[in-house]
Amino acid sequence: MKNTIKQVFHSGKFLFGFCIFMAILLTVIIYPIFVTADPLQMIGQGNFFKPGTYVSIEESALSKSYTLQIPKQFSKLEAVLDIDTRSDIQQFLINQAGVAESEIDVTDADSLVELWKANYDPNTKYSGLTTAKRKALKRLDGQITAALKDSGVIIAEKDEEGNLAQSKVIKDTDYVNINDVSKKTFVLGTDNFGRDVLTELIAATKSSLKIGLLAGIIATAIGLLLGLLAGYMGGLADNIIIFVTNLFTVIPSFVILILISYSVGDKARGIAMVGIIIGLTSWPWTTRSVRSQVISLRNRDHVNLSKLSGHSMFRIIFTDILPYIASYVVMAMILQISSGILAEAQLSMIGLGPATTKTATLGLMMQWAMQYSAHLNGSWWAYFPVVILIALISFSLNLMNTGMDQVFNPQLRD
Amino acid sequence: MKKNLRKVMSLLCVSAMTLSMLAGCGGGSDTTTTTEAPAATEEASTEAPAAEETTEAAEETTEETTEEAAEETTETASSDADSTPRNETLYEAGQQWGTINDWNPMSANSNNGLAMAANEQSRVLVYETLFMFNSLDGNLYPLLGTEYSWDDAQTELTVKLNPDAKWSDGTQVTAEDVKYTYDTHVKYQSSTGADYSTYIDSFEAVDDGTVVIKAKLGDDGKAVNPLKVTAFLNNVYIMQKAYLQTVEERNGEDADAVKQDTMEDMVHSGPYAPYISNDQKAVIIRDDNYWGQAPSMWGKLPVPKYIAHTIYKDNAAGQVALSQGEVDVCQQFITDVQNLWLEDGLPISTWLDDAPYGACEVMPSMFFNVERPGLDKKEVRRAIAMAVDYEQIIASAMSGQSPTFADYPRSVVGPTDGERKYVDFDAIADLQWDNADVDGANALLDEAGIVDTDGDGIREVDGTNLSFKAECPTGWSDWNASMEIVAAAGEKIGIDIQTYFPEASSFYDDMTTCNFDICMWSTPGAGVMNPYSKGMFYFSEEYAKLPSNWSGNFGHYMNDDAEAILEAIPTETDEAKLKEYYTELSRILLDECPAVALMYRPSLFYAVNESVWTNYPAADDGRNIPPTDCTDGYGIAALYDLELVQ
Repeated sequence: MKNTIKQVFHSGKFLFGFCIFMAILLTVIIYPIFVTADPLQMIGQGNFFKPGTYVSIEESALSKSYTLQIPKQFSKLEAVLDIDTRSDIQQFLINQAGVAESEIDVTDADSLVELWKANYDPNTKYSGLTTAKRKALKRLDGQITAALKDSGVIIAEKDEEGNLAQSKVIKDTDYVNINDVSKKTFVLGTDNFGRDVLTELIAATKSSLKIGLLAGIIATAIGLLLGLLAGYMGGLADNIIIFVTNLFTVIPSFVILILISYSVGDKARGIAMVGIIIGLTSWPWTTRSVRSQVISLRNRDHVNLSKLSGHSMFRIIFTDILPYIASYVVMAMILQISSGILAEAQLSMIGLGPATTKTATLGLMMQWAMQYSAHLNGSWWAYFPVVILIALISFSLNLMNTGMDQVFNPQLRD
Repeated sequence: MKKNLRKVMSLLCVSAMTLSMLAGCGGGSDTTTTTEAPAATEEASTEAPAAEETTEAAEETTEETTEEAAEETTETASSDADSTPRNETLYEAGQQWGTINDWNPMSANSNNGLAMAANEQSRVLVYETLFMFNSLDGNLYPLLGTEYSWDDAQTELTVKLNPDAKWSDGTQVTAEDVKYTYDTHVKYQSSTGADYSTYIDSFEAVDDGTVVIKAKLGDDGKAVNPLKVTAFLNNVYIMQKAYLQTVEERNGEDADAVKQDTMEDMVHSGPYAPYISNDQKAVIIRDDNYWGQAPSMWGKLPVPKYIAHTIYKDNAAGQVALSQGEVDVCQQFITDVQNLWLEDGLPISTWLDDAPYGACEVMPSMFFNVERPGLDKKEVRRAIAMAVDYEQIIASAMSGQSPTFADYPRSVVGPTDGERKYVDFDAIADLQWDNADVDGANALLDEAGIVDTDGDGIREVDGTNLSFKAECPTGWSDWNASMEIVAAAGEKIGIDIQTYFPEASSFYDDMTTCNFDICMWSTPGAGVMNPYSKGMFYFSEEYAKLPSNWSGNFGHYMNDDAEAILEAIPTETDEAKLKEYYTELSRILLDECPAVALMYRPSLFYAVNESVWTNYPAADDGRNIPPTDCTDGYGIAALYDLELVQ
């Protein structure tokens, strides 16, 4: 046994897959110890906040400020006036304001802005422009005005009579130490409900692993039991079992999965239920392969010897046959776990997974990201880490499987 | 031997290929070959050792044939597209979600969103109503009718028809047509007929150009509901008498057959006629003889020659098409719509430049089924209502496209000024609740003695756990997310709420037959009946008694005070008195919580791309054209002003 494990760990593939898997598993276990927040708490009011650190504006405005003489890397005006904007301004000046093209020098920001300010009036409805363009120019005017403004924002407070009284001026050299103010870091931003994606992702991985493990154990247990019985007993039992197995193989298991999940209803659809449903529908191939292994084993000498010694069927199965296929069963289970996780993701994607407000799962995260078209908005953080994680989990499990295969399968041994 | 085998093999190969070709091309009629083909390949696999190749070859040929077939369909589709030049076609999205099944205004299950939507602001592209409603000023604008007037006793509504109005076959639109339209609706008990016959006694064609609608009178000699009679003007499509008679005749006057007639050969009065309709797209084409070019109506033809609607798989597909300029007018919910112009710099705009971006006028609301144990207690309903985080719903589920309840407190009326003047908000201020008031909700439940006695974290009423299903149709993403946020609120106050998103059809079954715990549906939009129709939506006992109730009060909440007010409103003309009534209705709504508004929302979403067409209605353009996607009610006026982008 010890030797076998040693051998297994000598396989590079297995070790690599094992490391990835353990890393994921450890993160899932350790992260919640440090971050105790409810992964389903809706913090951000809005959809898909960008990853980053959010600091309290109010506290930043009120807390002690430090003056830092950092040279400005760019002028505000230059930042507003990129090439496209300049050509937009030029277009407007020529077409709407009637300025001669020779008078416009797009390379000189100051003169361009001067011309703009002289000719553009935000309240005029210029003809020959689409509404979208008109609105864009209005926004541009706002940006230019803001860029031209002298540095400094005035903070004012209302007194008892409702008049504004200046209380502070914030200059562009004012900085605040980030440790002085309240802040919240979203390493992976927020999702469509305003939940912290990283925290949710880790909770989701945990439940997906649970579902996969449960599904894998159930599927393997059923498959193993039926395969052993069918293979060893043969005859009528074999025929019946293999008939049922074939039935299940022929009907796409995903269809059965959908039907069962749908009829179970949302009420009972927790992590455990989803795991059980997936397990109950994915056992047939394990049965078939275990059966074929057992058939090749049952006529070996040591089995015949046990039979002659009058050992009971179960004893023969468990002591003379099972140990020989144990390695295979473990590998099959790894594959079952991996496909269980994928099946959960698929189920949740079509809205048949566990309840959104009760648990986070990888599939549910994908589903909501899709529903709020994160893939169209460029909100990659809402779905990409999920995809990566699903891929990593099944990749590591499959890698472990092939690694073990190389160790146990004499044909593949170097 | 070897030679022989090869011969047999090649023979088998050839026969398998021919058979599969036949199977592939033969289609449904050629059933014998289809069954033979697989048999032949099976034979091959048992006889010849290298049979796998044979099957593969056969498979390849079938694949090829199907590919060819697929190519053909795409070719036909693209040739269709060629026939409607881009600069003469206005593309819509978000209204038509499948192959058009009929053009019948009497149909109960029409999916024809491109051409038909009979409500307060009816889609008047193919069929026309007597008048068009404009949600911006609340007025009716003439279409087939020119003017309407009530007699002094409010029992008879006289409508003058436009003498220029013609059917697409060139004949005059007459008072007889109007009368016959109504009579047919009633005769075959279409939903329109069943609805209006409660309030309308009969139609009388005085002469060709004048029709009188006689209201049904109550015991007191007053019209039962004059508002509903007026609503006929802008809600009901007028059909031609001669054509209706043809339809009746060909269906043997059988009610179901008449209502299921597809009416593809219809005679209509609107500016557009059916042109292309398949599973890829639906197109209607301008009728260049349209009567509306008479000076008494528009004085010109609508600008786009075609109005096309590609059948998109889902919202995302429609959104991509909009951002690529393949769609001009998009009636879809778009997450963070402002990013389309702020970040992507696309020539896309909405009704308003800033949140809420649209003209919000309806309130998607959740109804509690008061016949369910637990939900029959007002404390439970109110506790759920108090605990919900509405600001989260508005910010995340609605992506900020709704005003907040802090700015527009709850009542029976919508967020428009025209409706809000009917409610005295100071008088009901004490009944409003704070956003996500979980403590208040918990206290309310504790006080009412609804507590968790068995320690499972869920409160009980009479020993049964408070556990409810909140449902709305699957795929309606903003509603699904709202229900999730409601479910999250339930968890905080010890009430178990699960979300349940069935297919739309099974949701409709549940909602219309009161077979739900909590369900979500939207109030009627702006119209001549508003805010009365919103009051009816929340309280009407009459709706609750309908066997299949699509109209409102889905939770069967009965309140005699509310019912008395609803009976009094239609005949009341004194504004002060009306204000008193609507304030009282709001008080009952907030106190009893039979239903709770979750957000405000436009009745139609509206985002336009100015890549091809421009001069769409916008809030600040002073043209008084509502943002109804250039198709509905008075919004169709926009079609006459569209211009091509230079």
